[in-house]
Amino acid sequence: MRHLKLPSENFSEFVQSLRELGTVYAPVKKGGIHSFQEVKGADEMDLHYTRTMLPPKKFFLKPRETMFKLADGAWREVIEAEPIVLLGVHSCDIHALRILDRVYLGEPADPYYKARREKAFIVGVSCLPDEYCFCKSLGTHFAMEGFDLFLHELPDGWLVRVGSVRGHEITWENSRLFEGVTDEDIARFREFEEKRSRMFKRAIPQEGLADMLDLAYDSPVWGEYAERCLACGNCNMVCPTCRCYDVCDRWTGAYEAVRERRYNSCFMEDHALVAGGYNFRPTRLDRFRHRYYCKSYFDPSSGYNCVGCGRCDEFCPAHIEHIRVLEEIRPG
Amino acid sequence: MGDGTDSLNPDNPYMSREARILKVEELTPREKLYTLRFLDGGEFNFKPGQFVIVDVRGLGEFPISLCSSPTRSPIQLCIRRVGRMTKFVHGMREGDIVGIRGPYGNGFPMEKMEGSNLILVAGGLGMAPLRSVLWYALDTGRYADVWLLYGTKTYEDILFRDEVMHLMKHGESLNCKVKLAYEVESPYFTTLEMSGKVCRGVVTDLFRGEEFDVEDTYALICGPPIMYKFVIRELLNRGVSPGRIYMTLERRMRCGIGKCGHCVVGTSVSMKYICRDGPVFTYWDALSTRGLI
Repeated sequence: MRHLKLPSENFSEFVQSLRELGTVYAPVKKGGIHSFQEVKGADEMDLHYTRTMLPPKKFFLKPRETMFKLADGAWREVIEAEPIVLLGVHSCDIHALRILDRVYLGEPADPYYKARREKAFIVGVSCLPDEYCFCKSLGTHFAMEGFDLFLHELPDGWLVRVGSVRGHEITWENSRLFEGVTDEDIARFREFEEKRSRMFKRAIPQEGLADMLDLAYDSPVWGEYAERCLACGNCNMVCPTCRCYDVCDRWTGAYEAVRERRYNSCFMEDHALVAGGYNFRPTRLDRFRHRYYCKSYFDPSSGYNCVGCGRCDEFCPAHIEHIRVLEEIRPG
Repeated sequence: MGDGTDSLNPDNPYMSREARILKVEELTPREKLYTLRFLDGGEFNFKPGQFVIVDVRGLGEFPISLCSSPTRSPIQLCIRRVGRMTKFVHGMREGDIVGIRGPYGNGFPMEKMEGSNLILVAGGLGMAPLRSVLWYALDTGRYADVWLLYGTKTYEDILFRDEVMHLMKHGESLNCKVKLAYEVESPYFTTLEMSGKVCRGVVTDLFRGEEFDVEDTYALICGPPIMYKFVIRELLNRGVSPGRIYMTLERRMRCGIGKCGHCVVGTSVSMKYICRDGPVFTYWDALSTRGLI
């Protein structure tokens, strides 16, 4: 890994240099929440945030998008992809993008996701956890790949990790903005990480978790939570790894139609409904349990489908907490 | 967002190929058989047990299993009128165009099963994908004895009735034995004079009197969800290994290629995409992955 230092006084100019790569999106505080919005300068963004409501997946898998347009009786592929810079992405969200990559870039690759992913420049930023974060217990609190640059906060600037050739090129072209890393910077970097590590309040008890949850398939706790759950699907929308979509053909005029896809939620009653009326997950309990199993599936090659970002807890109107569910479900 | 491009991109995995409906045959009051030919004249290689997604442009898409054998062309789909999409398709006629993408899924391991006996257990519409296996087995002649045990509700519901009846009478020369179980009595059944091959009851009743070498036999099952456990119990009681019991499963599918997430089944220890990892699974898979059956 290549390391550089970006002094605070050069940060604004650094942001301007990123604008040459594409439209810059960064966390912006709106009302009580943060969200990734287009920014034109460093003063518009707030990098001291815990989580955005919608994760960065919205840039790659859009809440609603046109896949095809019908013209003269034939489908025409519509791919909208612009060069973008995502500035200020947390480690958990970078890990989540890697999970989405395995699905959407796996053969055959999804051309919509792929086009946008290839045009995106990712700049990570260090963060401090709040009461919802449990990324550390999942090993997703530190990204070693999946970014072009990663900024670690120092008292007088940023320690920059360079994660890709493109990242290297932008620092090279703007080398006047960067300095070498000093022993003092390394000491501050270490201090930050140690302080951060001590701040985590929550942890997923991982030992044997996948098997224990499987063994708890018939636990009465599922039913208790299914009663509390409003089945609103908020958790799916805010989850950085939830990726179900539905497809629908829509007529936009007498002779024009589009094929659209949009986010879907496994809490919706028709998620597992097939033609003829048979529903493979007919009850809310089935659907609640399915989401938790999907998130807690331990893929031998990629780990869990959950990165511990805490969004589903923070934005659940029924105050259902992911870790608490798993702890109560686990026998013993 | 600018930079939008639109093109006829054949590499887009969601883009369907145009196919002409060559023939529409009414199999039952609910099911029609569609024979299709691709307009691009290109190849379409598939295995028994795989499926396609039918694209009715401007209306939507739906998954359907291939019911013809790779040994015969053109391809055929058996479509039950059961919802909005299939109702529309039932109104389509010879010469009309539909989009087809696929084939998708793993299909049955036809090569692995060569030389062994095959027991095809079909319930209702489950006959469609198993017909692909049946004709593949009979056309290639690479399998030992082939049984078709077919459960139907009524005489009118029998899919591919002429083929089934023909094989019931004359299948012995092809080492093929066809047996039929029905729920609703009909004068046709009593005049069939196929003693021992046709009975009132359920599909598991058809195992009665049949002897087969469990070490050298594969069972292939397709039917309504309720049917699997009864058929599997019968097979296990006879000593068939869970690894030799193959089932093909149905789920809601939007993409067919493991993206959209609707067909995901399982728990924390094992998650499967029915469209990509299946739709054919062994009973051992079902024991390892909760929710498959």
